[in-house]
Amino acid sequence: MKIAYNHLVQYMPGNPTIEEISDSLFQLGHEHEIEDNIFDMEFTPNRGDCLSINGLLRDLAVFYSIDLNQEIYNEKLNELNIDFKNQSEKICPKISFLKLEIDKVPELYKNSLEGYFTDLSLSKNNFFSDVSNYLSYETGQPTHCYDADSINGELIFHEIDKQEEFETLLGKKITLKDKNAVFSLNNKVINLAGIMGGKSTACTAHTKTVLVECAYFKPEVIIGKCIKYDIKSEAAHKFERGVDQHSQDKVLRRFIQVVSDHANIKEMSIVTYNYKENQDIKIPINVNKINEIIGININENDYLNYLTKLGFAIEENFVVVPSFRSDIKTQNDLAEEVARVIGYDNILIEEINIPKNVNLNYKDIENKLRFFLLDNGFYEVINSPFVGIASKEAIKVDNPLDSNKAFLRTNLTDSLVENLLFNERRQKDSVKLFEISDIYSSKNGIHKKRVLSIVASGRVGLNYQDFSKKIDKKYLTAMFQEILPNEVFDFQIISRETLDTKIKSEIIALEVDIEKFTDDILNYKESSKPPDKFVQFNPISDLPSSIKDISYSIKNFNKIPELEKLLLSYKSDIVKNIFIFDYFHNKKTQETKIGFRIIFQSIDTTLTAEEIELVYNDLINKSLKIEGIAIPGIH
Amino acid sequence: MSKPKGILSPKLVKDRGSLHPINYMKDSIMDLLVSFGFEIIDGPEIESEEFNFDMLNIRKSHPARQMHDTFYVERKSNLLRTHTSPVQIRGMLEKKPPLAFISGGKVFRKDDDATHLPMFHQVEGIYVDENVSFSQLKDLIYKIIYSLFGEDVELRFRPSYFPFTEPSAEVDILSKEGKWLEILGCGLVNPVVLENCNIDYKIYSGLAFGLGIERIAMLKHGVTDIREFYKSNLDFLSQFK
Repeated sequence: MKIAYNHLVQYMPGNPTIEEISDSLFQLGHEHEIEDNIFDMEFTPNRGDCLSINGLLRDLAVFYSIDLNQEIYNEKLNELNIDFKNQSEKICPKISFLKLEIDKVPELYKNSLEGYFTDLSLSKNNFFSDVSNYLSYETGQPTHCYDADSINGELIFHEIDKQEEFETLLGKKITLKDKNAVFSLNNKVINLAGIMGGKSTACTAHTKTVLVECAYFKPEVIIGKCIKYDIKSEAAHKFERGVDQHSQDKVLRRFIQVVSDHANIKEMSIVTYNYKENQDIKIPINVNKINEIIGININENDYLNYLTKLGFAIEENFVVVPSFRSDIKTQNDLAEEVARVIGYDNILIEEINIPKNVNLNYKDIENKLRFFLLDNGFYEVINSPFVGIASKEAIKVDNPLDSNKAFLRTNLTDSLVENLLFNERRQKDSVKLFEISDIYSSKNGIHKKRVLSIVASGRVGLNYQDFSKKIDKKYLTAMFQEILPNEVFDFQIISRETLDTKIKSEIIALEVDIEKFTDDILNYKESSKPPDKFVQFNPISDLPSSIKDISYSIKNFNKIPELEKLLLSYKSDIVKNIFIFDYFHNKKTQETKIGFRIIFQSIDTTLTAEEIELVYNDLINKSLKIEGIAIPGIH
Repeated sequence: MSKPKGILSPKLVKDRGSLHPINYMKDSIMDLLVSFGFEIIDGPEIESEEFNFDMLNIRKSHPARQMHDTFYVERKSNLLRTHTSPVQIRGMLEKKPPLAFISGGKVFRKDDDATHLPMFHQVEGIYVDENVSFSQLKDLIYKIIYSLFGEDVELRFRPSYFPFTEPSAEVDILSKEGKWLEILGCGLVNPVVLENCNIDYKIYSGLAFGLGIERIAMLKHGVTDIREFYKSNLDFLSQFK
């Protein structure tokens, strides 16, 4: 909600600066940003009472003197005779109507009314709606203005449960569905209560006689309707968060005042229907409890003084909660009021000592498995549980984001195969992935199990020992057998026939309940460690990479470390990775062959052959300077 | 390949995998909290409205309970938990105070854009004992934030609102660029919640806190798009070793 600084400060005789008010608002828990002397406020949902100039000033009153010198029409008013029936009193326990006729529609606005539109750069609509909008901003209480001439029958407030067409005053046509609180006239909905009025009875630029409706609607009746009907409504935002149940009469009298500042009122009358008297909430005065909750030591005088400034009344041994603070019910609520006034950052710290627990063997099997897989070059992934197609036992999401996310997956392998194909499309020829997650299914109730899935394909590893070996069942079985000789694992080959890929290497998968693993895994001594610091992420290139190999023939094997060092620590913006993919020592000839693979990729451009050649040649030239090293075919 | 003996063969560099950065961050935070005395408990991702909302003092009229915010499953009989708080409820129903639980895992909200995902991770903690106060909560939060971001970090407490805590606070840290960033939510357990869990609020009080893992991981690793975490891209994952 946008609130102009000058609209607040006009009621603050001390003239605090915008920065002072900003600091106070933060201390009170009212987040905001400031632009061009306007506070863009973001109130927590429990503080609907602050959604207005007056509401915010009530909170600021704890730090500043406030002089709310808004004139209110205080003369006696005639009782309005209106044909109105409230058939749903429970959801609208209080409602007032004001009928008012002016002699001429004003062309120019004055004072606060004009300031509201100009300072907040808002567009005017018609006089009565403009006054209504301004008063909602000033007081927090929405009102609705009907063109009184269009109200020609019995006006009924009720909750309907039927389909009906309705056109809002902004011309949006909607179909009302399910339960809706509405005002009807001659069996037709004319106002979606608390959200938006209808076009048929709306005020126009020519309206001189207005019927103003000012009500309290229960928040639960309004909530969710704006999203349901795709309507933006300031009134609904306020009703959803709860308006003051006692302000209706006062707001209508202020309405009269603002109108009379702009036009001559020919006739006016008012009526209030109060179906249920709201009981004041009283909380026993207990400053010790407040001190205990916060961990401070204030005296009762200071405590009550804070509350009084915030609008609470003190009655014998009780704190009486003002009608606009529907969020306050308990000692903890009062403690928060005190803590806000003191400032959370000003509350001293008291050392906490939580008794140590003994249960530390949490998920040990799972963690051992993770590190065992890490040691073998597997990467942990996390996938979304939402899938479009699933087995009969899959749990259905009632309100999915879209039809491709309508079920919860019943296996992890399918997601991992997707991950594998994604990485293969990114030119990865050795992909080893695993995921551990809960999965859920439904068959006579909801079932949960915790599952490990691994999926792997391509080269066993990017080193000279594993480069030419392909991942297959045998390799993975041996890997598991080595540490878990007594356990049997059912590795599956996933057919590529139905997959969108041209790559041929076998996909091996395993999906197994974590429960199936015995404590044997706990004996495994991992060599991988978690990172010792939080590494800074480097942007990823989505451009194609290129591969170049260099095969060396080495007579003087003492020079191998020098060659290794030169290549493996070679730095270039376009070299992504260099590794030794081949190594062979011929005993007879005493000749050693080493093959290096260089992967080129740039973060921002697709590399040209020339760019690659430049770096490749530099590597070759530098390496050939090492004595006893040759590249067959290059002299 | 023949294995050369007595010569300097090249170093065999075997590629190791990496933990997923979100799981790693979650584990790091959980380990830290365990060192403070918290016990780890687990709960289901599919929850009832009772545990996810009612027991936590989230009224029927609360916006979070609408179909546009929460994923409901199996004809509205259950839902995907929107926070890890229901696990605390389960813990409190099972054990008598003093108790100190943490719980971490996946949570779900009906959101999908550059900064929000329908699935994300939280770690939450609760401590219930006699005379637990807001000033003690502050001590704990300082310890958590200092451990995560170093003792030079500047932080501030702001009053906020959660139905299950009262008073409630949000905690911001000051970034290197001078911007306040929201890091966690916390507060004293609302007595209504204690009562719902058959804990006598006249004797016991509690503190609770919750952290969004993705947000902290993004800050710590300098990741700017939350979606990067869930592409399973080896070029991304291999950086977190």
